[in-house]
Amino acid sequence: MMPLRRFAIHRPADLREAAEMLDHYGENGSLYAGGTELLLAMRHDLLRYAHLIDIKTVAGLDGIERRDEHLHIGAAATHRTIERSAVVREQLPVMAEMAANVANVRVRATGTLGGNLAFAEPHSDPATLLLALGGNARAQGKSGERTLAMDELLAGAYENSLAQDEILTGVDVPVPGPSQRTAYLKFQVHERPLLGLALSLELDDDGGVIREARCAVGCVSPTPCRSATAESLIAGPADSLEQRIEEAGEALADEAALTDDREGSAEYKRHLIGVLLRRAARKCLNGNG
Amino acid sequence: MSDDKSRDFEVVNRSVPRRDGRAKVSGRALYVSDVKLAGMAYAKVLRSPYAHATIVSMDTSRAEAHPGVYNVLRGDDLEGLNPYFGHAVKDHPLVAIDKVRYAGEPVAAVIAEDELTAYEALELIHVEYEELPAVMEPQESLAADAPLLHQRQFEAGALRGFEGEVTAGRGTNLCQEHHIKWGDVDEAFANAAAVAEGEYYFPMAYAYAMEPYVAIAEVGDDGVTIYSSAQHPFMVRHDLKTIFDMPVSQIRLIVPFVGGGYGSKSYTKIEPLASACAWKARRPVKLQLSVEEAMLTTRGDDALTWMRTAVDADGKIIARQAKIYMNTGAYAENSPLVCEKSSNRCVGPYAIPNVQIDNHMVYTNTVPASSFRGFGCAQVTMAGESQIDELAAKIGMDPYEFRLHNAARPKQEFFPGMRPFDGTLTEDLKIVAENIGWKEPLPSGHGRSIGCSASDAGAYPLTSTAVRVHADGSASLMIGSTELGQGSHTVLPQIAAEELGIPFDLVRVVSSDTAITPYDRSTGASRTTTLMGRAVQEASQEAKEQMVRMAADVLGVEESEIESVRGGITCGEARLNWSEVLTRYYKLPDGEVIGRAYIRKDKDFAQLPVFWEAASTGIEVSVDEETGKVTMEKLGTCGDVGLAINPALAEGQDIGAATTGMGIGMFEELEFDRNQLLNGNLLEYRLPRFSDMPRTVKLELVQNRDGVGPYGAKGGGEASLNSLPANIANAVYAATGARIRRAPLTPEKVWRAIRETRAARGENES
Ligand SMILES: Cc1cc2nc3c(=O)[nH]c(=O)nc-3n(C[C@H](O)[C@H](O)[C@H](O)COP(=O)(O)OP(=O)(O)OC[C@H]3O[C@@H](n4cnc5c(N)ncnc54)[C@H](O)[C@@H]3O)c2cc1C
Repeated sequence: MMPLRRFAIHRPADLREAAEMLDHYGENGSLYAGGTELLLAMRHDLLRYAHLIDIKTVAGLDGIERRDEHLHIGAAATHRTIERSAVVREQLPVMAEMAANVANVRVRATGTLGGNLAFAEPHSDPATLLLALGGNARAQGKSGERTLAMDELLAGAYENSLAQDEILTGVDVPVPGPSQRTAYLKFQVHERPLLGLALSLELDDDGGVIREARCAVGCVSPTPCRSATAESLIAGPADSLEQRIEEAGEALADEAALTDDREGSAEYKRHLIGVLLRRAARKCLNGNG
Repeated sequence: MSDDKSRDFEVVNRSVPRRDGRAKVSGRALYVSDVKLAGMAYAKVLRSPYAHATIVSMDTSRAEAHPGVYNVLRGDDLEGLNPYFGHAVKDHPLVAIDKVRYAGEPVAAVIAEDELTAYEALELIHVEYEELPAVMEPQESLAADAPLLHQRQFEAGALRGFEGEVTAGRGTNLCQEHHIKWGDVDEAFANAAAVAEGEYYFPMAYAYAMEPYVAIAEVGDDGVTIYSSAQHPFMVRHDLKTIFDMPVSQIRLIVPFVGGGYGSKSYTKIEPLASACAWKARRPVKLQLSVEEAMLTTRGDDALTWMRTAVDADGKIIARQAKIYMNTGAYAENSPLVCEKSSNRCVGPYAIPNVQIDNHMVYTNTVPASSFRGFGCAQVTMAGESQIDELAAKIGMDPYEFRLHNAARPKQEFFPGMRPFDGTLTEDLKIVAENIGWKEPLPSGHGRSIGCSASDAGAYPLTSTAVRVHADGSASLMIGSTELGQGSHTVLPQIAAEELGIPFDLVRVVSSDTAITPYDRSTGASRTTTLMGRAVQEASQEAKEQMVRMAADVLGVEESEIESVRGGITCGEARLNWSEVLTRYYKLPDGEVIGRAYIRKDKDFAQLPVFWEAASTGIEVSVDEETGKVTMEKLGTCGDVGLAINPALAEGQDIGAATTGMGIGMFEELEFDRNQLLNGNLLEYRLPRFSDMPRTVKLELVQNRDGVGPYGAKGGGEASLNSLPANIANAVYAATGARIRRAPLTPEKVWRAIRETRAARGENES
């Protein structure tokens, strides 16, 4: 890491002003939240900005609250805040558990959910989980607000689909009902996970049948992905899921278009997807991994 | 030293709190990065993007014209300096001259009024390179048509620390070779009851220290002064003496606290570049590297070792043969010595009648390798201790019993011509076996292993010191060894306090300034407690002898009538403490006496090694067979330290070393693609974390007072690293039946090995 190059920091009072600043500085400007990705990339000279627009000065962007059937988590909420939030722990425990295992405590204390999603680093835990949970991102620009599904927001590795003047304000996550079971598992050796896998099952009343499944795998492709084939394979009688799960794992791995890289061979990643999917299914159905 | 065995200790052999603890945790401790000189400028380094290239041209004019820039240092503008350094082989230019030999090599340095300005100006330098074919691995580099890294022939450095010839620069890429032979290996293997044979790999590792390299240099009328994070200031002084062609009295190295070394800060690193910048800019210059730059400065040698070991029908090891290829990178640094040491360390800690070791250290276009904690021992012990378990399995013997059966015995000359073994390995092994519950049942998926090592440690015995006893009864130690976190500056005053019979708090350490503190060759090879410890002990004794003579003088008696007691003297009824002796002698309550000691290769230290650094380590792991992930559940270490001057610090060394060994055994590895270091940063180079530490850790010390250091002390701090990578491979084998011969044992590697082992078994069954 080298010294940070010269830059100016701006503190907008509200979203409107932030959007105007973004528009004004164009390519020379960037939003700045916790800085855990941004400043690192700038210190490695991978990114250069002359103007940083500090989103933390905008009031209310870090709130977490229940809104109708959704849990709203503000973009500026840190991983640590999410991990420790009583509302999240109670209503969306899988999210709190995931947040508690992001990075290390220093990154969690500074890094925000919005920064994580907007940076679109492929090894994101929240992105994978939110994709399986059906969370939606909220974005605010100069001319208004819009809602984007996770796979709309994440356009590629390090690439989001926000417009130049748009700011991520938060995510809305459907609060799971009593018949829904969710699990998020990851496999990690380095600072960032090698593989993240989220599974969400909608069971029938007596829990014998999986009515609907959503599963997502992250870290092994530019953006996290789901597989319709895998999901339809998982749906069905719960007690025979073990027999279908291997094929489902294969389908999910097919969707991820795995490649060999420094983190591991495609073969190993494929294998791990199978292992984690089986473990996640057990966790959903029996409460253990 | 057997005469003082009965004595009760007052200060040594106690875990007094470390001196620098409070200063360090409260941020008050001074490191070089805290030092600021008047008029100081800052340098930043432009590094080569190519692994091997000719510098065709360099345009620095825009950088020089940039506001705030003073100068640009370049390799073709060093008239007046001898720009090549190296204590073993003078092959290293302080900045690239004509060509670059690894990606990351310094090609120019900008000197500016502040660090940011210097950094900004780097991209204004235009360099035109002509890329040359690069060689990244030893075998490739030794091929007949391989591109040659060094065209010049080199002289052996005067301070190379070994007696053999230097091979470097003789028309091949061979940097150094070393051969050991006794007995007849071929015959022994022909008659063996069982043989283990295989190829093992120990990875390139980075000796991560929290403080990256930093130096501040000033070149003035009275010579060169450098503040540096160097481990061995006197060795650096010698390199600078040649660069500037000045007497050593005009080269001054000042080393405040060093933020960790682990070998990476041994010998000369950035001091030549920093001082050349200061020379060019005619003002003090600070050069502070980032961690990423430090990772482009030095690393440990990786090693590919083919080894075979034979036993006879009684389970006695009768022969060992190894061929080793080590990758030393672009410059020799300290690797020629690593070459010799790793060859020696293939043998211990077993007495083997037939041995042949052939070791080759090869230049490649990678980051230069040098000392790394364990110094060649860990590299070959990965092979050696793996093979002990493989052999035990072949002859159906418990690997622990097998080691007990073969380990070198106390006083045994297991390495012909070297000091007889001064440790008690069988005792060490028993303690570790007990502490990790060797015989107890294991949960499924778990495995245990035990290992041991003995290194010819202590480096070269050349150390001196002065102990100044002041008239108020306090004392100052003049210490050329550096405090790098190992605790030397707590241990050494403990020894002086013990000898002088004065309170520990009254002893101050004046440290590591080559203009002030007497010569100490190095702070490495676990030598400081043994060698500087002995020097402090002897200098304290010499101060006492002088004070006895002074007492005789002031009391008007014969010296023989004076009895030296704890903290002073008695003579009949008279009883004087040291303060009273000095005050009466000088007739003023001030003044001092200076005790001195010079340690050289003589008497107790005539035979090398200074001591054998021995330890045993044991672990228990669990393996998640589905993912290949290995978790260390238990760790036991036993340091064979003779006497721990400060047991808590000695144990701290053992767990620190074992943790480094765990890192290399499980995750650490510098990876190169064709030309570039791929993971030269802490996000991608995986270091051990607290969360990796086993839940159960048992550290123990064996203290038989069998070393040549003060009170029978020997060094510690490396040995429990050396066996750890093999420990991990052996424990994974015990847990899964899969034998892995390449460290680190990353999850995918373990998963594959398990799968292949299962497949092979399946084939055998069918
Ligand atoms: C050592 C380390 C380990 C890590 N481990 C993990 C891990 O295990 N799992 C994981 O999921 N992640 C991990 N991360 C990533 C971490 O989660 C992110 O660094 C963090 O959440 C980013 O948030 P930030 O507030 O620091 O973003 P910043 O660095 O401030 O910003 C990142 C990017 O997002 C943009 N941005 C920020 N806020 C907004 C917004 N509201 N609207 C639009 N754009 C915005 C910025 O312009 C910038 O481009 C790790 C990071 C590090 C450094």
